[in-house]
Amino acid sequence: MLHLEHISLTQFRNYDKVSFGFPGRITAFCGPNGVGKTNILDAIYYLCFTRSYSGRTDSSSVRIDSAGFRIDGRWNRDGQHHSTVCILRESGKKEFQVDNESITRFSGHIGHYPAVMITPDDIELISGSSEERRRFIDTLLSQLYREYLEHLIRYGKLLTERNSLLKRMSEGVMNDSGLLDVLDEQLINHGNAIFLFRKNFSAEFISGTSQYYQNISGGNEKISISYRSVLTEHSFEQVLKTNRSKDLALQRTSSGVHRDDLEIFLGEFPFKMVASQGQRKSLLFALKLAEFETLKAMKGFSPLLLLDDIFEKLDEQRMMNLLHWVCEKNEGQVFLTDTHQERIRSIMNKFKIEYQLIILE
Amino acid sequence: MQFSSQLLESAVNAFAQLPGIGKKTALRLVLHLLKQENSQVEQFSETIASMRKNIRFCSMCFNISDTEICSICSNPSRKKEMICVVETIRDVIAIESTQQFNGVYHVLGGVISPLDGVGPDQLKIESLHNRVKTIPAEELIFALSPTIQGDTTIYYIQKKLQQDKLKITTIARGISFGGELEYADEMTLARSLQNRQPLEHYVSR
Repeated sequence: MLHLEHISLTQFRNYDKVSFGFPGRITAFCGPNGVGKTNILDAIYYLCFTRSYSGRTDSSSVRIDSAGFRIDGRWNRDGQHHSTVCILRESGKKEFQVDNESITRFSGHIGHYPAVMITPDDIELISGSSEERRRFIDTLLSQLYREYLEHLIRYGKLLTERNSLLKRMSEGVMNDSGLLDVLDEQLINHGNAIFLFRKNFSAEFISGTSQYYQNISGGNEKISISYRSVLTEHSFEQVLKTNRSKDLALQRTSSGVHRDDLEIFLGEFPFKMVASQGQRKSLLFALKLAEFETLKAMKGFSPLLLLDDIFEKLDEQRMMNLLHWVCEKNEGQVFLTDTHQERIRSIMNKFKIEYQLIILE
Repeated sequence: MQFSSQLLESAVNAFAQLPGIGKKTALRLVLHLLKQENSQVEQFSETIASMRKNIRFCSMCFNISDTEICSICSNPSRKKEMICVVETIRDVIAIESTQQFNGVYHVLGGVISPLDGVGPDQLKIESLHNRVKTIPAEELIFALSPTIQGDTTIYYIQKKLQQDKLKITTIARGISFGGELEYADEMTLARSLQNRQPLEHYVSR
């Protein structure tokens, strides 16, 4: 059981100095636009991942006319008290302390305090290019299997080498198909490993996602998701061989696991083409909740759930379905934000769950 | 930086071209040389010029040499059938200082990296091929860095030499000597476990 009990922010974003205690499992932040609801969620994200969710640089998270910031969090994990502190010094140097000890490798901290954040911007995952979905799967799989990350890094490096060689070959320098063979062999090795990881993982992940989507949408929409890879039908070796002349003309590797995608259909049409905003948002939740479930199974306890502006674009029924899962079925700590306190109040009262409402002005 | 003399300025600029030397250090070196006797400085520049002019690369292994064939290749007590393939001359010096290797070397002059514009043709791969053909080599030991580029180079050369009856090995990869296990990164540790050694090999060294 992971619980954030207290957080204090100093010179972070729009806050000069502020602190909040979170005695309960569910905390809702309410307030008008621009008051800093998302900033609090992002501060919590900082404590878990040592960086911002939005991809903003550390220095741009400092309050205007101030130098440096500090985010101080106190946790309770299985009855043990812990603290994580993120400090950006005036010099621009970032420090991260866990239980009052500075850590040197930030990447080593990630995963100890797991969290899943969902913001309106994440809709790119659904409507964006396949790259977004690959990154989503890759991030998750790398957390589960270190080996996968290793294959992924090596595959990426080999791919740039191969593309660079293709380019030089078409320019007439370095005309050596033997070298291309060698690069291909290594690429095939890593590509096959990546494909296997993704295939095995997506089988379970997809059924989880579909299930969540049914739950949120009420079960009347037929959605199908499939992992699409060129390796499903052909061996990578064959793919590279048949595409070689094309690759030489294009000067890049036209086919491989770096072009994989999750294909989503609503009924018989591509989801991206026909889905409404609310449906997209529902699918986004379904994907993220499946991620949540995967992390939970791996860690043995529930990650934090950070939900930014969740009610936007969802209809009443979907909202209820979603909250039913988030607040009743889920056991982990939840933070959510909304602009209407009345809306939050009335929904929470329907569920008869204890929650804390923090009103920001 | 403002200089009162054109000669001084060009000398400083010349020194500043060297790796790891900035303008201020260059000035310090030049001023030091200015304090010295004329003859001394002449000898200094002579040494450098003659080094550059007279140094040669061994026609067998491409190591640095004063003669056509370097002292390692011409040493009769060295096993010519065992060739250690390295990237640069610095690697030769490193391996030589272990005093554990009694074969000969082959300096490739780099590793294959299309990204950096280095292809097989820029490296001494063809001459390695010819070398193992003319001298009946038994073993080729690859002592290259464990990177993508290093691996690619090994695979490439191995493919080229496939037909020749040749034992091809690479140096061991794993936990560094005197290193502590807990500080080793996971990948190295995993690799070390995969390629673990029977104890008798370990003790006999």
